[in-house]
Amino acid sequence: MGYSIYGIGLSALNAAQVGMSTTGHNISNATTAGFHRQEATQVTNIPQYTGAGFLGQGVHVDTVKRIYSEFLDTQVLQTQTSFSRFDSYNAQASQLDNLLADVNSGMSPALQDFFMAVNDVSGTPSSAPSRQTVLSGAQAMVTRIQGLATRMTEMRDGINTQVRNSVELVNSLTLRIADLNQQVAIGTTFGQPPNDLLDQREQLIAELNKEVQVSVVKQDNGSLNIFIGSGQPLVLGTKQLSLSASPSTYDPERLEVGLVVGNATAVLDSSMLQGGNLSGLLAYRSEVLDMAQNALGRVAMGLTQTFNDQQKLGQDLNGDLGENFFTALSPKPPIAKYGNAAGLTATLTVGDVSKLTTEDYNLQWSATAGAWQLTTVKSGATVAMTGSGVPGDPFIADGMSIEVTGAPNDGNGFQFQPTRNAAGEINVAITDTAKIAAATPIRTAATLAANTGTGIISAGTVNATPVTPDPAHPSTDLNLKNQVTISFTSATTFDVTDAVNGVLDAGVAYTPGANISYNGWTVQIAGAPALSDTFTIGPTINGVTDNRNALLLAGLQTKNTLANGTATFQGTYSQMVSVVANKTNEAQVNGKAQQTLLEQATQTQQSLSGVNLDEEAANLLRYQQAYQAAGKMIQIVGTLFDTLLNLR
Amino acid sequence: MRISTGMVYAQGIGTIQKQQADVLKTQQQVSTGRRILAPSDDPVSSSSVLELTQYMNVNEQNGSNANVAMSKLQMEETALTDVGNLIQDVKNLAVNAGNGALSASDRTMLATELQNRYQALLGLSNATDENGQYMFSGYMGGTAPFSETTPGNVVYNGDQGQRGARIGARRQVAVSDSGADVFQRIKNGNGVFVTAATKANATSGTVDNTGSGVISPGNVLDKAKWNDPTNNKDFTVIFDVSNTIPAVTTYDIIDNVAGISLLTGVGPTGVGPYPRTYSTGGAISLKTVAPPDTNPVPFDFGAEFDIAGAPATGDTFTVKASTNEDVFKTLSNLLDVLTKPPSVAVPTALQNGLNTAMSNLDNALDNILTVRASIGARMKEVDSMQGTRADLTIQFQATISRLQDVDYAESISNLTLQQTHLEAAQKSFVSTQSLTLFNYINR
Repeated sequence: MGYSIYGIGLSALNAAQVGMSTTGHNISNATTAGFHRQEATQVTNIPQYTGAGFLGQGVHVDTVKRIYSEFLDTQVLQTQTSFSRFDSYNAQASQLDNLLADVNSGMSPALQDFFMAVNDVSGTPSSAPSRQTVLSGAQAMVTRIQGLATRMTEMRDGINTQVRNSVELVNSLTLRIADLNQQVAIGTTFGQPPNDLLDQREQLIAELNKEVQVSVVKQDNGSLNIFIGSGQPLVLGTKQLSLSASPSTYDPERLEVGLVVGNATAVLDSSMLQGGNLSGLLAYRSEVLDMAQNALGRVAMGLTQTFNDQQKLGQDLNGDLGENFFTALSPKPPIAKYGNAAGLTATLTVGDVSKLTTEDYNLQWSATAGAWQLTTVKSGATVAMTGSGVPGDPFIADGMSIEVTGAPNDGNGFQFQPTRNAAGEINVAITDTAKIAAATPIRTAATLAANTGTGIISAGTVNATPVTPDPAHPSTDLNLKNQVTISFTSATTFDVTDAVNGVLDAGVAYTPGANISYNGWTVQIAGAPALSDTFTIGPTINGVTDNRNALLLAGLQTKNTLANGTATFQGTYSQMVSVVANKTNEAQVNGKAQQTLLEQATQTQQSLSGVNLDEEAANLLRYQQAYQAAGKMIQIVGTLFDTLLNLR
Repeated sequence: MRISTGMVYAQGIGTIQKQQADVLKTQQQVSTGRRILAPSDDPVSSSSVLELTQYMNVNEQNGSNANVAMSKLQMEETALTDVGNLIQDVKNLAVNAGNGALSASDRTMLATELQNRYQALLGLSNATDENGQYMFSGYMGGTAPFSETTPGNVVYNGDQGQRGARIGARRQVAVSDSGADVFQRIKNGNGVFVTAATKANATSGTVDNTGSGVISPGNVLDKAKWNDPTNNKDFTVIFDVSNTIPAVTTYDIIDNVAGISLLTGVGPTGVGPYPRTYSTGGAISLKTVAPPDTNPVPFDFGAEFDIAGAPATGDTFTVKASTNEDVFKTLSNLLDVLTKPPSVAVPTALQNGLNTAMSNLDNALDNILTVRASIGARMKEVDSMQGTRADLTIQFQATISRLQDVDYAESISNLTLQQTHLEAAQKSFVSTQSLTLFNYINR
C-alpha cells in the first residue's frame, strides 16, 4: 500500500516538474518569432483493480503539445503574403510618385519655361538674348527629362537587384525547410511531435511567404511540400528546387524569375506569382514603371518630332530653311526572340508620332494563321496592322512602321519598345541662336502700282507635306522659294507662273478665299481682283521681324499633338503622373486594408498560440503548489512508514 | 478572450507609430501649405493641378504677349498720329497756296515749307520700335522701308508682311502694318476714278491747256455701273469753242481704249463733232443723254464730274480709273505745282494741280485714319483680352488653390487632435505594460 502511495506522490512530483519546465519554456520563448505556446497534457495512470474497486495510481504526462490551429496560422500566412506584395509595390511606386511630385524634378515647369522662351522669341524674333533663352530653356528641359529617365532606369536596375536578392532568400529558405523536413521526419518517429522544430519550419514558411506566395501540402511523415504559382514545386520532402533570376529572352535588362528543373529553367510569368515581395516588384515593373518610362519617352519623341517638323517648315535668321532643333530620335531597335530562324530581321521606325502609345508590342509569326501577329505585351490584345511588312510596304500600327525580312518559323518573333529609351536620349541639336526658325520661308505681296482691284492676298503658309521634297529638307518643297506670280487674266480667272519653271497653271477659276497651293505653299486671295492685277509669292529675304513660324512653334504647347491628337505634351505627361499616382494610391489603400487584416489575423492567432506571461505566472504558482503538495504527500507517507516500523 | 503578451506590445507600438505617421503628415501639410504632398495623395486633383498650371502659365504668357502687342500698337499709333497731323498741315498749306493773292515768292516759301514736311514724312515712315526695328517694313525689320531714289521718287524696300502676336489660346493680332499699306496703297482721285487737266508732256506731245477750265474730282453715282465690264475707264473730254458770237463751247468724250467717241459711237476722224454743249460748272455725266448724244449703243457708267471756267478749243481733260499713288508722290506732285514756273495759264494749272493734290491728300489722310482705326480696334481687342485673361488667372489660381492647398483651420485642429491621440497612446502604453502578475510574486 505504502509503496503505491509513494508512487502516486512521485508521479505528481514528476508531472509538476514537467509542467514547470514547460511553463519555463513558454516564458523564455515569449518573444521568439513563430513560437507557439506549449502545454503539458496530464493523464491519470491506469488504475489498479482491487476488491474495493479501481484504485487511482497517480498521474503521468502524456505529451507536451503545441497550441496550434492550422486554420488560424494559414490565415496569417495568406494576409501576410498579400500585405507584403502591396507593401513592396507601394515602396517602389512611392519613389516614382515622390519624384514626379517634386516641383523641382518634375517635367512640367521646364516644359513651360521652354515654351515661354519660344513665345518671347515670337515677340522679338531678331533678339539674340531671346533666342538664347530658348536654347537655354530647351537645354534645361532635356536635362530634366533625361534626369527623370535616368532615375527610372536606376529604379529598373534597383528592381533587378531586389529580384535577385529575393530569389536568393527564397532559395536559402527552401533549402532550410527541406532540411527541417528531414529533422521533423526523424523526430516524429519517436512518437511525439517535435514542437520546436515544427515552429521553426513554420516560421521559415512564413518568411518565404513574405517573398512569394506558396501553398503547403502536408505529408504523412510530417514533412511539408511547398508549391509556388500554379503548382510548381519548391520543396518536395527533403528535396529543394531553386528559383533563378535570369535575363528575359526579350530584354536582357529585365530579370525574370524562373524555376530550375534539372538543366532547364521554366520562366514563371509574373501573373503566376500572386503574393509576396517578389510579385509586388514584378507587378510594379510591368504596371507602372514600364508605362511611366514609355509615357515619358512618348513625350520626348513627340516633342522632338513635332517641334522639328515645324522648325523645318520655317526659316532661320541666316535665311536658310530650319534644321532639326532636337536631335532626331529613333525608337529602340527591335529585340529578336531567342531561337529565331537564322536571317530573320526586323526594322522599326516611327512614322506618325501622334499615334504612338505607351505600350510594348510582340510581333509573332503564327504558322497556322500564316501571318505575323502583333499583340501588346501587357494585355496580349491584338493590334491591327496595315501593309504587308516587306521592305517598301511596312506594317503600320500605332505609329510604328515595321519591316521584316527572312523566313520565320512558327513562334518566331520580335519585341518592340518604341518609346522606352527616348526620354533618356532627347537632346538639343543646335547651339547657334540664329538657327531657330522664327520666320516663314515665303512671303506674299499684292503688286502695288498696277493693281486696280480690291484683291488681298494672305500671308501664306508652308505645307507640311511637300509636293517635290527638297533632298536637303525633306519636309519642304524643292521649289518652295521660287518666285511665283499669280496674274488675273480676268476678274474671275488667273494664271500661275513660276519664275524658274514657267507657267504652272493657266485660266484657274477664282474663288474668293479659296486655297491656292503650288510649290509647297498655300495662300488665299480674297476681295475683287481686277483684270491684270498681279500677286506674288516669293522667298522671305531679310525677314528679321518675321515671327510667323515662331508663333506656330509656340502654339505647339497647347496643340493636341499626341495620343491620336487628343492630348498636349503636358496632357500626356499629366496622364502619366495620374496613372502613377493612382497605382500608388491603390497600393497604399490595399496595403492598409491588408495590414488591418494581417493585424486581426495575427491577433486571433496569437490569442490562441501566443504566450501570456500572466497566465504563465499563474501556471508557475499552480505547478509550484502541486509540487509542494506532492512533496508533502511523500513526507506523510514517510511518517506512515515510521508508524509501522515503530510497532514493536 | 485570451491576450498574448507579445500582442500587447506590438499593438501598443503599432498604434503609436500610426499616430506618429499621421502627425508627421499633417505637420508636413501645414508647413508646406500643400494638401497634396505626393500625387498619390489625390491622383485626380494632382493631375488636374498639372494641367491647370499649364493653362495658367499659357494664360500669363498670353498676357505678356498682349503687353508687347499693346506697346507695339501704341508706338505705331503714335507714329501714325504724327503722320496724320503732318498730312493735315500739308492740306492747310495747299489751301493757302490756292489763295489768288499770293505772289510767286510767297508760293516759293510755301514750297520750302512743303519740302521740309516731305523730309519729315520720310523720317516718320522710317520710324523704329524699341528694339531698333523699322516699324513699317513688314517682315524686314532690319531694312529701312522707304528711301528716295531721285527727288520726289520714294521706293519701298520692305515687304507686305504683318507681324503677329498671340494674345489668346487661338487668337493672334497683327501688331504692325506694312509701309506699302500705310503710305502707298492709296487710291488717287476720288478713290474710283481720277480726273486731270492735261499737262504739258514732251514725250506724249501734249501741251498745257490754254483755257481756264478747272475739273472737279467727280462723283461715283453707282459703283456697280462704273465696274461694268463694258466700261473701259479711260476717257478724254475734248473742247471746242465756236468762232460765232457769242461763242458756244461744246465737247466730246473719247473712249481712249476703244478709240471711239463715247457720244457718237464713231472714231474721231479729225475735228468734231462735239455733241454736248458746255456750261460752266454743269454736270458732265458718263451716261447717254440723247439727244444730243447719237451713239446708238446707250451707256451709263454711273459717274459724273464738272468743269468750271472757260476751256479753250483743243483743251482736254482725262478721266481714268484710280491707281495707287504713294503719299510721297502726292507731296512731290504738290511741290511741282507750287514751283512750276509761271506761265499764261498758271492760275488754272495751279488750281487744277491743287485740286488733284487736295483730293489725293484727303485719300492719304483717309488711309492713315483707316489704318489707325484698325489699330484702335486691335488695341481694344488686346485690352478686352487682358481683362478676360486677368479674370481667368484669378479663376485658375482659385481652382489650383482649392485643389492642392491646405485648409489651415482644418489641418491645425487636426494636428492638435492627432497630438492628443498620440500622447494618450504613449501614456496608456507605459501605464498598461507595467501590469504583470510577476510584480506580486516575491517569494
